[in-house]
Amino acid sequence: MSTERTVRFSLNGRAVKAHVASHESLVQVLRDRFDLFGSRESCGQGLCGCCTVIVDGKPVSGCLYLASFLDGTSVQTIEGLAPADDRLDPVQEAFIEAGAFQCGFCTPGFILMTKHLLAENRAPSDDDIRHYLTGNLCRCSAYPEIVAAVKLAATKQRGG
Amino acid sequence: MRPFDLVEPATLEEAFHLLEGDDPAVRPIGGGTALMLMMKEQVFRPVRLVSLRHLAPQFGAISIDADHRMIRFGATTSFSELEHSAVVARHLPVVVRTMRTLANVRVRNVATLGGNLAHADPHLDLPPVWIALGAQIVIENPAGPRIVPAEDIFEGYYETNLRHDDIIREIRVPLNASQRASYVKITTRSAHDWPALGIAVRLEMKDGLAHHPRIVLSAATNKPTRLVRTEALAHGQPITPASLRELGEAAVSEADIASDSRGSADYKKHLLRVHLGRALHALALEE
Ligand SMILES: Cc1cc2nc3c(=O)[nH]c(=O)nc-3n(C[C@H](O)[C@H](O)[C@H](O)COP(=O)(O)OP(=O)(O)OC[C@H]3O[C@@H](n4cnc5c(N)ncnc54)[C@H](O)[C@@H]3O)c2cc1C
Repeated sequence: MSTERTVRFSLNGRAVKAHVASHESLVQVLRDRFDLFGSRESCGQGLCGCCTVIVDGKPVSGCLYLASFLDGTSVQTIEGLAPADDRLDPVQEAFIEAGAFQCGFCTPGFILMTKHLLAENRAPSDDDIRHYLTGNLCRCSAYPEIVAAVKLAATKQRGG
Repeated sequence: MRPFDLVEPATLEEAFHLLEGDDPAVRPIGGGTALMLMMKEQVFRPVRLVSLRHLAPQFGAISIDADHRMIRFGATTSFSELEHSAVVARHLPVVVRTMRTLANVRVRNVATLGGNLAHADPHLDLPPVWIALGAQIVIENPAGPRIVPAEDIFEGYYETNLRHDDIIREIRVPLNASQRASYVKITTRSAHDWPALGIAVRLEMKDGLAHHPRIVLSAATNKPTRLVRTEALAHGQPITPASLRELGEAAVSEADIASDSRGSADYKKHLLRVHLGRALHALALEE
């Protein structure tokens, strides 16, 4: 029986390992083993995006992803996004400047998804943004500001 | 959720061995997006999950035959691999368009084509599209592989006739340069809700007449269903307001539609009349 295993992976650029049970999800392991609380389980169904984590360069729902599948992967969380302790990623800056949140619970998910949207599409339209972010819910309903933040981030990343 | 045995065989033979027996709590797992939800709700309590991830080298490719007559999709291909495939965009644009309103980016990155078929939720978007395109499903079994038309897999609400030790290997879609196809997802509450109905249509147009149409209804029925009488009626017909009205009525009388939280049967029948007509009309006008 293999109800438990040790997984080795890269977490925000650092080689780590964790002993995980077969039923544990990625978001549980990040919170319980690594004290990374930026991704959080909210809807628990893959709909809201609060548990967004980047695995091998792709956003996934951490609450629907078995931690056992992490072996050999490269994982990035919101905690690993800022390039230095005293500097933020342009997407993070844009969300602050545009006031794109109230309570902030959903913000890590929105920021990680935006990072990936902009990697695929340097100048997304409002429609592109709304489509890409359909799987992220902001219960404070800061959507107009979020769309503005994504556009601001796109401008910053293009160096404008 | 409770712990279970999680295994990741590298060969089909090992996978069969690990699935042996008839315990319904022993299942294959693709992306796990559907299984995780069922496990969290405790409607499924696995004893063992046999991951197909390590079969991906044989099971995870998208390829086109040299004569361009068929595209093959490995069962562990993710939705996003499909969505971003240049070959699929060029030869089966309907499949790429379907991805735009299917789940969300994160689910598409993880969920697999095989899991999507075997899950057999009638609200899923790709099964009707596969059926309309005349897809064949390659199924591996210890007793030998078999190939069946996509529509033959589905038995009813979340029910397939796949056997306990069946593993879906591949989806084969025949190509036809003169075919036109579309899928319409009609949601009645919010845009990302499960559809009240899905309509997939493929046809060819010859001298202004519809040829060899395939019309598939999903979500409103308990499994994705071909409307064969309506197809027969549409074959050889011009697409005019009068013929569209007639085909809409034929579809409504043929389909077994039930009321649920997404609308009454009468309302869904009305949606079917209107949206089937629009879909056929749009295809007839396509260049
Ligand atoms: C938030 C959310 C929204 C979604 N929205 C949509 C949507 O709008 N439209 C849509 O079509 N889908 C949607 N889905 C996806 C769909 O509901 C399923 O979750 C998904 O298609 C299952 O794929 P999987 O690889 O994750 O399957 P799994 O969860 O791994 O497996 C599902 C079933 O298939 C079996 N299985 C898996 N692979 C094989 C195989 N190769 N051979 C035999 N059996 C196999 C498993 O044993 C299990 O019974 C959504 C999912 C989520 C979580």
